[in-house]
Order: sequence, then C-alpha cells, then structure tokens
Amino acid sequence: MKTLVVFPNKELLYAASTLGGEVAALVFSQKEAEAVSGKAHKILVAEVDPRLPDAAAEAVAKAAAGYDLVLMPSTKNAKTVGGLAAQKLGVELLVDVLSMRAEGGVLTAERYVFGNKAVAAVQVPLPAVATVAPGRFQGEPPAVQSAVEKLALAPTSRLKIAAVEEKSRGAVRLEEAEIIVSVGRGFKKKEDLQMAFELAKVLGGQVGCSRPIAADLKWLPEEHWVGLSGKKVKPKLYLAVGISGQPQHIAGILDSRIIAAINNDPSAPIFQNADYGVVEDLYKIVPILINKISKLKGG
Amino acid sequence: MIKTALDTGQLRVRDAVVVEETPLKISDIDRNAVEEAVKLKGQDKAYGVTVLKWGPLQKKIQEAENVLREALAMGLDEAYLVADEKLLNASHLATAKAIAAVVKKVGADLVLAGEATVDNYTGQIPARVAAELGWPVITYARELKVEGGRVVARRDLEDHVEVVEAPLPAVVSVTREINQPRIPTLLAIRAAMKKPINRLTLADLGIGVETKISAAYKPLVIQRKKVVIKDGTPEEKAEKLIQHLRQEGVI
Repeated sequence: MKTLVVFPNKELLYAASTLGGEVAALVFSQKEAEAVSGKAHKILVAEVDPRLPDAAAEAVAKAAAGYDLVLMPSTKNAKTVGGLAAQKLGVELLVDVLSMRAEGGVLTAERYVFGNKAVAAVQVPLPAVATVAPGRFQGEPPAVQSAVEKLALAPTSRLKIAAVEEKSRGAVRLEEAEIIVSVGRGFKKKEDLQMAFELAKVLGGQVGCSRPIAADLKWLPEEHWVGLSGKKVKPKLYLAVGISGQPQHIAGILDSRIIAAINNDPSAPIFQNADYGVVEDLYKIVPILINKISKLKGG
Repeated sequence: MIKTALDTGQLRVRDAVVVEETPLKISDIDRNAVEEAVKLKGQDKAYGVTVLKWGPLQKKIQEAENVLREALAMGLDEAYLVADEKLLNASHLATAKAIAAVVKKVGADLVLAGEATVDNYTGQIPARVAAELGWPVITYARELKVEGGRVVARRDLEDHVEVVEAPLPAVVSVTREINQPRIPTLLAIRAAMKKPINRLTLADLGIGVETKISAAYKPLVIQRKKVVIKDGTPEEKAEKLIQHLRQEGVI
C-alpha cells in the first residue's frame, strides 16, 4: 500500500498510517515540508499556490503516479482539487470518509448520504482519491525517516485571485465546542438571542443557530450556522432552543453525545431526535435555567 | 447542470434504505444554478442537463423529465436528459464525461451547478466536468458577474472569501446565498410544456463507461433517549432537565 497525503495534517497522516505501507506527503512550501518532517516516509514539495485548484490538481496528478490512494482533508478547496485531480487521473473520489480500509485493490469506505439519513459503504477500485471527515482519525502518526524531494513542474493556472477577505470570526469555533446552545425561529426578535448567549455563558459553551437565523434573518453571522450546509458539530451537549428540527439541521448534529431540546410545540420533530426534550415556552424556561445553572456553577 | 436527485425528505429508512421507491426531485441548490443561468443568459440560450443516476431506468425517466420541466418553467430554453442503463450508479468519472459531452454538443461557454447535491453531497462533479473540458473551475460562488469574456466570483470558503477571476469558457458551482430562485408562474409552467427535452444515451454521445461504484446503504440509526418533560411548572421542568443533564455528566 502506498498512500499520498495532500495538505497533510496530523489526522490525515495518522489515517494514512493505519492503512500500512508507505506514506508520502505533498506540500506546497518549504515551511509545510518542515512541519511534516519525521511523519512521512517521503515529502514532495511542489512550489505552487494551493489556493488555485487547477495548479494544485496538476501537482497532485503528477505526484500521485505510483500511489494507490491520495488522501486529503474535507475542506472546500481540497474537495475541488480532489475532483479535478481524480478526473485527470481517471479514478474515483470519495469525500467526507468516516472510516476506510484497503484490501485486494479495493477501497471500502463509509460515508453519510441522503441528508445524513443513511450510511453508505462504498467500494471503489484503487487507485483512488479520498477526503477524510474531520475528527474521525485520532492518533499519532508513527515517527519515520523523511526523504524530501522537489516536484518539478511548471504550474499553470487560469484563475486569478483578485482579493481575499477574511470572514469576521469571533471566538466562535463550533466544531470544537463541548457545549452548544443553539437558537432557532422560536426566538421572536434578534435582541432576545441575548438570553441564549447568557445561557451559553453560564454553561461555558458557545452559541449555534439553525439556517433561518443565519441565512434568512441574518441575526447571527454564518459562523454560528449548524446543519448540513453549515457547521457539523460534535459537542457533548447540544441544547436546541426554539429549533423545530428540520432534517438538514439534524444532519449537522448527529455526532453530538447528548441532545436536549426546548420547544413549545410538542409535535416538533426535534423531540424525535433528542435525548431530553422539554415542552415549554423558551421565554419562560431559559431565564430559569440561566438562574439555576449559574447558582449550580457558583457553588 | 441539474441533478435529478433523490428526494431524501421522502426516503424511507425504517428497516432498509429503499432507493428505488424514493421519488426524484430537483437538487435544491441546483435551483440557484438555474436561476443564475436565467439571469445571465441575456439574448443567448440556456440549457439544462441531467444524468440519471438512480434506477429503475424506465420509471425514473418520467420523474426526471418532470424535474427538468420545472427548470424549463424557471426559464431555461431546452433540456437534455442522459438516461442509460450503464449510467445508473455509475462512477463519477462517467457522469462527468457524459455531462461534458452534452456541454460540447450544445456549445455552452458557462456551466453552472449547485455546490453539491442533496442526496450524495459529494460536490465533485463541477470540478470533474471542468477537468474533462479543460476549462477553469470556480467552486462555492456566492456572487457571480460575467463581463468582457471573464467570470468574476466571490468564492465562499471556510474561513475567508476569495474574489476569483477566470476567462470563459468556465465551470462555476454556486451556493444557496447567490440568489433567490424564482417560483415559476402558471403561464411559465404551461410554456415549459412546449420546450424540448432531448433524451440521449451513451451511444448518442459516443462515449463508453468503465467501472461502476458499488455502494451498500444502511439506515443511520442513532438512538436518542427521547425523554420528554411536559408536565409541571416551568420551574419544575427546568429542574428536571438540569437533573438529567447532570446525571449524563454533561453539565
């Protein structure tokens, strides 16, 4: 088994090592090469701008020669690079892979499909390209001797990046949050969200929201948006307040350990997807929760 | 590019995943792609293309045509349905080849698609079609302008937005934020009945298809405890919830 890791990080290098055999890393600068030194048998350095998917895909397609599997992170840019490279190489691409094994020239991988209502066990012939879902491969890549090699290529891109705008990013890192208080249409006006922020504060958690709050009403920036097209989260407690529980929202919270929900509508679908549901007016119960929990934490 | 996707809202997942009986619908984000095409087409024609991925073929062809009618009612001029036994559950490689062949056939210079489709959500076809055509690709566009033979897009990535330019011809995948898809009027729906839907096979496109992907689906069942607290005063309910959450060790 020979695996090439592109945009290498600890998780990907560990995932590659679980397949056995040789692990190589493709990086796009000397600095990245130093960061993976000792974690891959071979380090290939391609001096191209990885933000340009066509140039990066050219490097991937060239570096992939002789490898059974190309592994990438499941970021938007990496998926684009993966699609381009896979078509160039004439191979399959599996994205958001949860688990995988390679056997007899076949890659078998699991991924969520159909709005996260089902798991597909997909089999594709090797060689292949796969992007790995975050948080699924936790471990240390073994220490090895690294040989560094320059990948000779004259990258061409027809894309021009005219500007880059950083997204306003507060302290919100929902993917890493242990407790999330999430808000939905049950809140009647923007100012009322303050209650949820207070509850999150006493719980030591962060605030998430459903699609309408971020995309339609724009009461919160998109970095708070939890769901299939927003953030996929895995806290130990997900507390959904005034969220009805549309399938697209549920799809983003599947990996939560405990889901609790507050909604005044007993038929809200969120209750079918929660461990603990409270049928109550959020305007009545949230202030009580803030009060009780802050007392609890205070002493 | 329109995906005649499985309507996952109607997917039955109690004991087994029944793909064959799940109806097709237009993949949600492809509505945004259709809307953008209609807005940009000007005096030119805008075409829709779909590759039928889900069988059984004969049954799904009718459903796929209905999906395309919807896109025609939104303002596309003509649609292509690639339906071939060999393309059912086919590799993404083959799907992209079939779409690229239709793009060449109609002579389009801009291909628009949703960032990903609602059933499989892999989002790889736009990049693959671009590679197949040898065109540049801009993915996850939340704003798009076409001027002087170039596309300029705001590409919405995880931590930042890039303003990216590319020469035409090009492939662009769009996000839901790019526009508000129109709801066709009754008149437009009637007019769409007269617009052509061209059905093609792989032989018509002169392409062969290699491996199939094998996929086994099983329902994703995460059993939640579903304890519902509905009796008592708000005070009592809050107390019960806190007790449960403390027992679970999460607060």
